[in-house]
Amino acid sequence: MALNLAADPTLGIFVAGTASQFFVMLLLCAFVYVMIMRTRAGMPVPPIRKIPGLEAVDEAIGRATEMGRPVLFSPGISGITQPATFAAWAFLGHVAKLCARYDTRLIHVDRDYLVHAICEELIRQAYLEAGRPDAFNSDDVRYLTGSQFGYAAGYLGIMQRERPAANIMVGYFFAESMLFAEGGANIGAIQIAGTTNTVQLPFFLAACDYTLLGEEIYAAGAYLSKEPNLIGTVVGQDWGRIATFLLMLVGCVLANVAAAQATWLKDLLLKK
Amino acid sequence: MRKQLPLLLTGIAALWFVLCKYIHVFNATGAMTTTDKWYNIVIATMTFIGVVNLTRIHTTHIQRRRSGYHNSIILLACLWGFLAMGLYYTNKHVNYRWVYDATVVPFEATMFSIIAFFIASAAYRAFRIRTLEAAALGIVAALVMLGNVPIGSVISGWFPEARSWLMNVPNGAGFRAIRIGINIGSFAAAMRIALGLERAHLGSGQ
Repeated sequence: MALNLAADPTLGIFVAGTASQFFVMLLLCAFVYVMIMRTRAGMPVPPIRKIPGLEAVDEAIGRATEMGRPVLFSPGISGITQPATFAAWAFLGHVAKLCARYDTRLIHVDRDYLVHAICEELIRQAYLEAGRPDAFNSDDVRYLTGSQFGYAAGYLGIMQRERPAANIMVGYFFAESMLFAEGGANIGAIQIAGTTNTVQLPFFLAACDYTLLGEEIYAAGAYLSKEPNLIGTVVGQDWGRIATFLLMLVGCVLANVAAAQATWLKDLLLKK
Repeated sequence: MRKQLPLLLTGIAALWFVLCKYIHVFNATGAMTTTDKWYNIVIATMTFIGVVNLTRIHTTHIQRRRSGYHNSIILLACLWGFLAMGLYYTNKHVNYRWVYDATVVPFEATMFSIIAFFIASAAYRAFRIRTLEAAALGIVAALVMLGNVPIGSVISGWFPEARSWLMNVPNGAGFRAIRIGINIGSFAAAMRIALGLERAHLGSGQ
């Protein structure tokens, strides 16, 4: 591997133009680390606010159990490298455990073959942990197709045939979000959706009963498991958000002051 | 060991990517590009395993005459038929392209066009004015729609201006706030995974 020394490193260490990013990353790491240490030491940390979409998971699965109809789950159409897919797995583990506990059928539908392999193992493990390995049915964990709209057509078909009482969609969605959400509304399913794709959020908001906005899906693992270490990271992330807001505020003030000074200087120079 | 090894590998990979992205010595060697190539090799291998696995599962379906086994026959015929065509003609040949363009493309376009009808039915429900929020949503939606269609500017030049302001100022501000939250959330999620705190993908209890 030949050395590329075209751009001079910042401070002699960092790739040119990335030093500020690196320090912001360190700051966020520090927030998260401090909060994890606090929770491990049993010190008080601010509680996570109530998220209705996450609270509604029990209600949705309970409804499906009462009606004797299945729960349908989609982890979105993104691949294994998207953070939203990891968030969907945290959600799926909880949903699968509840379904196993209540003896409710869970139908899981994938678009990515790598995601599918992990989802199948995850659901199998959840049934095992719930003490119901016999209830796991691998035919209900389905890989449809890699094609976006082929997946959408298959998902809608399953909705019409199986008539799930609850439709849970958490992950990264594109144009198919509207098809899924409206299809679920048409069959009267209780719908919980969450995505980090801001363009698709309005569709979910219009057609679903509960919608997790953006980063709320990342909090799902911590929120549902109540694990102190994970809660610590969510609180640390909130500190990061506060720090970002303060930085933006300082940036706005400085930009305006600089602009005002520039005008003042300009006026001064023109007056001579 | 079944869980420790993947966690260790994840942590090492995360640290490696951070070093390659930010530290000049690592970045300048082109280590990031090399790592990306490894990723592509892993994906290609997984695709091959996927094809073999799919064939195995659906052959079993056909052999055991499970319900819907005729779908498995169609699937295997398409999978191996298209692969054979590609090997025979290569993927640039007009016959190979035609099969794709005459089947997959129209199917996908059909599904995509259905979205328009779904949007209309969802909008009908969302815009029913039952609460103060729904009323605000309905009014704003009407303004944006009028600002987007030619008749809006014929009625008044104010509609396109109102539409631009609504989309760029309140809507833009809201979306940016959500995006900042998502990026910070993604970072915290990545950190949880790199440190082995988030183990849902390993199928373990949390």
